[in-house]
Amino acid sequence: MVPKEQIQASVKQFILSEFLSGEDADELEPTTPLVSAGILDSIATLKLVTFLEEQFSVQIEAHEADVDHLNTVEDISNLVLSKL
Amino acid sequence: MDFSWTPEQAELRAAAAEMAAAELNEGLAEREKAGTFSLEGWRRCAELGIQGLCVPEEHGGAGADALTTVGVLERLGYGCKDNGLVFSINAHMWTLQVPLVAFGSEEQKRRWLPGLCSGALIGGNAMSEPASGSDAYSLQTTAVRRDDRYVLNGSKVFVTNAPVADLLLVFANVDPERRPSGVSAFLVERDAPGLTVTRQVEKMGLKTSPMGELFLDDCEVSAEARLGKEGAGQTLFTHSMTWERSSILAGGVGAMERLLETCVAYAKGREQFGQAIGKFQLVASKLVDMKARLETSRALLYKTAWLRDQGRSIFLEAALAKLEISEAWVRSAQDAVAIHGGYGYMCEYEVERELRDAMGSRLYSGTSEIQRTIIAALMGL
Ligand SMILES: Cc1cc2nc3c(=O)[nH]c(=O)nc-3n(C[C@H](O)[C@H](O)[C@H](O)COP(=O)(O)OP(=O)(O)OC[C@H]3O[C@@H](n4cnc5c(N)ncnc54)[C@H](O)[C@@H]3O)c2cc1C
Repeated sequence: MVPKEQIQASVKQFILSEFLSGEDADELEPTTPLVSAGILDSIATLKLVTFLEEQFSVQIEAHEADVDHLNTVEDISNLVLSKL
Repeated sequence: MDFSWTPEQAELRAAAAEMAAAELNEGLAEREKAGTFSLEGWRRCAELGIQGLCVPEEHGGAGADALTTVGVLERLGYGCKDNGLVFSINAHMWTLQVPLVAFGSEEQKRRWLPGLCSGALIGGNAMSEPASGSDAYSLQTTAVRRDDRYVLNGSKVFVTNAPVADLLLVFANVDPERRPSGVSAFLVERDAPGLTVTRQVEKMGLKTSPMGELFLDDCEVSAEARLGKEGAGQTLFTHSMTWERSSILAGGVGAMERLLETCVAYAKGREQFGQAIGKFQLVASKLVDMKARLETSRALLYKTAWLRDQGRSIFLEAALAKLEISEAWVRSAQDAVAIHGGYGYMCEYEVERELRDAMGSRLYSGTSEIQRTIIAALMGL
């Protein structure tokens, strides 16, 4: 079982490098809003879902790719964890 | 990866091609000229189980997997020269049935899916607006909650099937300040108060597929008509478009095969300079290119469906299949006109219609530029 901290670190790293390059890593906290703040737009969401499925060998259902499940690093990690 | 068909799949594919060739092509030239939709053809396809292919059995469908579904649609496209009818069926399947299956409540599924599968009901979706096409989520149609109802206001363009539809999935924003996160989807019935289907739009091709515009003037729907949660429009549309991009050109692959056969026969029969034109390498090479495009298109179509059946997200593959097959279809239809010479330009030979029909595939479900944008992003660029 992958520990939650490891999932969070991996998700955070992906978001920083893909969507927030050049930003201060400390600014991205587990509860920083991503979807509602426009960091995760429609194409970015496709990238994130593809990354999660490949990285953690999980399947994200269509209805899960939304603001309720992907809005923060914490939410994303919980979603992945619930599938492991 | 095994793309051989089981006896049941092969039987279904053969039945679709045979029925289509025997029953869906008569009077097409006249229907095309008049822009007439074939309700009879629609019902015949439904009887064969086409519309319900990938809908679960408990809701009136066949419960087929994605590979079987595209395999059957491919043969429908091969037998049916009425590309407009095939397009209307696809719009109905990917933009209404698929989101209903994935996001509908049990009540919504029970109410709508059996009729949508049986051919009794016709549907589609209404996303595009005068000021928002590729940038779909910037739509301006609003939905305001009032007690147990939503009131929709705005207008929609390019709505496939609208003039004949019983049910449309209309996208509207419940909270424009939230921009894309406010976009939500509503099941709007044809007779909803405040809904007007303004006119039948004339198109370059796919003329037998009716298209209309919607005007929503304080159009009221019940709260139960919302599909998915408030703000789920983007997620729902992504799901719908991924199915559409991966599958909508199955019929196009069949049409490319039909075109190729027509062109090979013509190139063998038409003589110039004392020999069949197919003997000229410049003509033969066009036919070889058509063959190569057909095979690569088919491989992409099957592989993408197969990946879906493995439970994978196929955002990149679906965009790639849509991009490649649409471009291949248009180029092959252009070659078909060239191979037929002046006759290819004449309506009687039915090749120019294939070209006009194919052209739309570069635009609907996201233009080729948008597919390239998605693919590039998913390649990490
Ligand atoms: C036959 C047909 C059926 C359709 N059916 C439906 C339907 O049932 N329901 C529905 O809602 N809609 C439907 N549509 C509409 C279709 O989805 C839109 O036409 C399409 O998304 C493009 O939008 P647009 O026409 O507003 O073009 P625009 O978005 O204005 O694009 C114009 C040009 O700019 C390019 N462009 C735009 N943005 C970018 C970008 N970011 N990067 C590079 N290039 C860009 C486009 O590729 C295009 O070349 C249908 C369209 C057709 C042709």
